[in-house]
Amino acid sequence: MTLPKQVRFLPLGFPLTSWAFAIRVWLAAIVALYVSFWLPLEAPSTALITVAIVAEPTRGQALEKAVFRVIATIIGGAVSIAITGLFSQTRDLLLIAYAGWMGLCVYVAGLLDGNRAYAAVLSGYTVALVAIQQIDNPGHVFESGMMRGAGILIGIVSLTIVSDLLWAPDRHRKLVEQLADIRRRIGNYAKSAILGETTQPMESAALLAEISALRPEASSLMFESSSGQARSVAGDNAAAALVAQLHAARSLNVLPVTADKATSERIVRALERNEGELPPPTVVWRADPQGDAGTTASLAWTLKEILRRDEQVRQNLAALRTDGRPPWHWRPLIYRSHRAAVEGGIRAAIWVALAGMFLVYAGWPATSTSLAVIGALVGLGAMTPNSRATTALALVAAPIAGLLAGLLEFVVLDGVDAFTLLAIGLAPLVIGAALLISLPNRIVSALGRFILIFAVTIFSPANPQTYDGQSYVIFFLLTCVAPSLLLATQFLVPPVSQERRRCWMLMSAREEFAQGPSRDRRDEPEEEMFRDAVRIGQILSAGGNAPNNAETIEEVLSYFDQSSILRLCDDKLKVLAGGPLTALAEEVRASFSKHEPQALRAASQVLCKASPSDHVVADLPAALMVASYHIEAALGRPIHLGEAA
Amino acid sequence: MAHTFRELVIGGVLVAPFMTYAVTALFVVLLIRPLLRFVGFLRIFSNAAIAELSLYVTIFGLLVLFF
Repeated sequence: MTLPKQVRFLPLGFPLTSWAFAIRVWLAAIVALYVSFWLPLEAPSTALITVAIVAEPTRGQALEKAVFRVIATIIGGAVSIAITGLFSQTRDLLLIAYAGWMGLCVYVAGLLDGNRAYAAVLSGYTVALVAIQQIDNPGHVFESGMMRGAGILIGIVSLTIVSDLLWAPDRHRKLVEQLADIRRRIGNYAKSAILGETTQPMESAALLAEISALRPEASSLMFESSSGQARSVAGDNAAAALVAQLHAARSLNVLPVTADKATSERIVRALERNEGELPPPTVVWRADPQGDAGTTASLAWTLKEILRRDEQVRQNLAALRTDGRPPWHWRPLIYRSHRAAVEGGIRAAIWVALAGMFLVYAGWPATSTSLAVIGALVGLGAMTPNSRATTALALVAAPIAGLLAGLLEFVVLDGVDAFTLLAIGLAPLVIGAALLISLPNRIVSALGRFILIFAVTIFSPANPQTYDGQSYVIFFLLTCVAPSLLLATQFLVPPVSQERRRCWMLMSAREEFAQGPSRDRRDEPEEEMFRDAVRIGQILSAGGNAPNNAETIEEVLSYFDQSSILRLCDDKLKVLAGGPLTALAEEVRASFSKHEPQALRAASQVLCKASPSDHVVADLPAALMVASYHIEAALGRPIHLGEAA
Repeated sequence: MAHTFRELVIGGVLVAPFMTYAVTALFVVLLIRPLLRFVGFLRIFSNAAIAELSLYVTIFGLLVLFF
């Protein structure tokens, strides 16, 4: 018997969840606009733009973005007042100070991710929207900042209330699904490795990149509800445990022995368990009397490690579902490339300064609007891997948004002053753009957001609406001039190329590996594994279709494998400090930076003989053996020296 | 007797009483979050988001009424 095919209802090709999101955005926009007109605010469009920017499909993400938007606006407002107070009489110095501040903010954004990076760049371009917009009227900067703050708060409150009342989905359910899917795929990877099948390095790298990309999602859970903090901790732990499980599975590739058939089947069955099932019985390893004891012990330890990590993932996924608080917290560290951040900051400052100089000497009216848009585009571009592509996308969106704004103002509304008609007239624009924002394709989603923001900026809703054709044309042209001018400066001073970023990241991985585990290491090995996974994700993203990307990935994966196992061994050795094996532990730790497999194997044997039944050192000899196999495997792999040149 | 609302003055800038109450209510809600989690507040309601919003509005209303 065949089951009837499930039919999904997709009005105009969009799922119902996208329609629900788009209608929520439209309602929030109308509420924000109504309150702004009623108060009345100087620039009601700020509230509307806030709704357009903060609009995210789930409550947690929207609230997190909103909180960071408020913090960044306060910082940006304070800096606007300081810059205006210092340089209000000297226009050129004011522009230089603004360019320098933008550079600093882009540098900070380069060291952060998610909405924290957004807050950094927003602190930068708030100065453009508050101080630079009032360049001819510096006495009005404080009021302008307050009005902007009020507009932002109204936009946030409107969106929060509408999202709460209209059942906006929570992020944690989707995150559980994503993490469970990655767990299933890592389980499949581990099964292939256990059964001795070939595994691809790019597959591991893609999994690590996918896990590390969930870091901002897990942190946004904190804002979702009163259980948000516990959920966020569970999400962080599950992600870190997944990275550690993948590392353990990759260790099987370098071991010289494979498990026997019965054991393999038992482990595979254990990995196939669902989250609700009972934990597996302890793996009992039957040592092969013919084989090398150290090798079989290392295989047994690795298999036990895979199951232990899988159990940690299961526990944290269960905690995420049931709002339970996990008993520990692994902070998901991120990889920070100061060099890339500094270069990005310097370039951002140069772009703003060059564009500012051009606009000053052009002498066009109301060019402060263009300068403000340029600041916003520089900031938003800094959050994406390719800032020039972001500017090009804005250049495509600006004329479309201008035409839509003109259509709305002079054809649809055409002189009406009733709020209900304005609300109905805004519906196609806001709902249409929100539908695009909800799409999974990042380019189309960004295009939808740009169109909505630019259209609202050009339309500039006011009470009463002026319907001034000249003002519309000037705003339209200046909004189009901003991305064109920025794109020209970005061709003159190009952004840091992906190839260079990849080289820097590879070099940093090499340097860290060469130094070995630091003596005063304060982070947990799982946290550092996660940071390495973030770097691998960034290298994978920067590599694109580069011909040597596969080799680079293979090399950084090798560093990831070796560094992670050495850190795990280092942690176990720290436990021995102060005991009878202190001297031996110190000797083994000193040998880590030499990367000699024979030294590690000798240390493993000495530890086994010194304290064969001590539970404190039970796993250490096996872990040291695994580390020696990882190093041995790396020594047989060609090093791509040309990469770091 | 009619309830009088005092304006908060920060560095010569007058802050509307509405804002003071709104921010105070937000802090109170954030402070009682661990307690809400402990008593399983979210599990009592089918729509936890509306319940939390209503709690915020209630605290805000009580602050306006008694302070």
